[in-house]
Amino acid sequence: MKQIIAIIRDERVEDTKAALECIGVRGVTFLYVIDRGQQKGRVNAWELGGYLNRNLRMPVMNPQTTGESQDEGTEEGRFPLQPDTEFTFSFLPKRMLIIVACDEEVSRIIQVIVDANLTGCHGDGRIFICPIISAIRVRTGEQGNKALS
Amino acid sequence: MKMIWAVIRPESAERVIKALDRAGVRGITRLHVTGQGKEMGITHGAVLYTEIPKEMLIIVVSDNDVAKTVKVIRREAKTGSKNTPSEGIVGDGKIFITYVEDSFAIRTAGKAG
Repeated sequence: MKQIIAIIRDERVEDTKAALECIGVRGVTFLYVIDRGQQKGRVNAWELGGYLNRNLRMPVMNPQTTGESQDEGTEEGRFPLQPDTEFTFSFLPKRMLIIVACDEEVSRIIQVIVDANLTGCHGDGRIFICPIISAIRVRTGEQGNKALS
Repeated sequence: MKMIWAVIRPESAERVIKALDRAGVRGITRLHVTGQGKEMGITHGAVLYTEIPKEMLIIVVSDNDVAKTVKVIRREAKTGSKNTPSEGIVGDGKIFITYVEDSFAIRTAGKAG
């Protein structure tokens, strides 16, 4: 029996949920966490726009179009924001998935999570596999793999 | 590889994270939790508080770095300053360590790293 702990992007949760349901994984625990990886919470302006839109409900215009739509004679204080401008946050909001599955299903679940979350950019997340000694269903007292089915 | 679950005081979280940063530990997941220890909460006046807010840090490190990480967390999360050394106060937190068999980065299409 293994515990799969995955840290994924906020906006990919629904896709991941649907993909997991397709292969018959129903027992998933979702947690709101804040997280940072090797980049220490560094995002560019384009990604930042997405974060603000989703989490703060703040409409942020696409930085590229904002920069171009302004006329030539911009004041010195108002420089256009380029999409590759980098910002550093101490932590970024993410979602944590916790799934307990029997040994044979682990590789399939990992594949599904990777497929649903792969964008190729930094911040896609990580998956950790931890051993679990036993599971008990509270309602019936069943133990081990029987408690999972 | 080991996973370190540290439950610490919310006010010491920033200090612990800064110290971990200096020690070279970068990947940290942080979540807000409530709970009680073996003292079964805090009695303040006539009121018993059983859900005490804490901050949980989840860190995955290689086996060699476990001792270093735990040392840093213990040093920074313990109450009491250099001028008034103390044994710490009840509620400083706990550190749990579990095994991690495998780890995958989603960005690189599932290769371990």
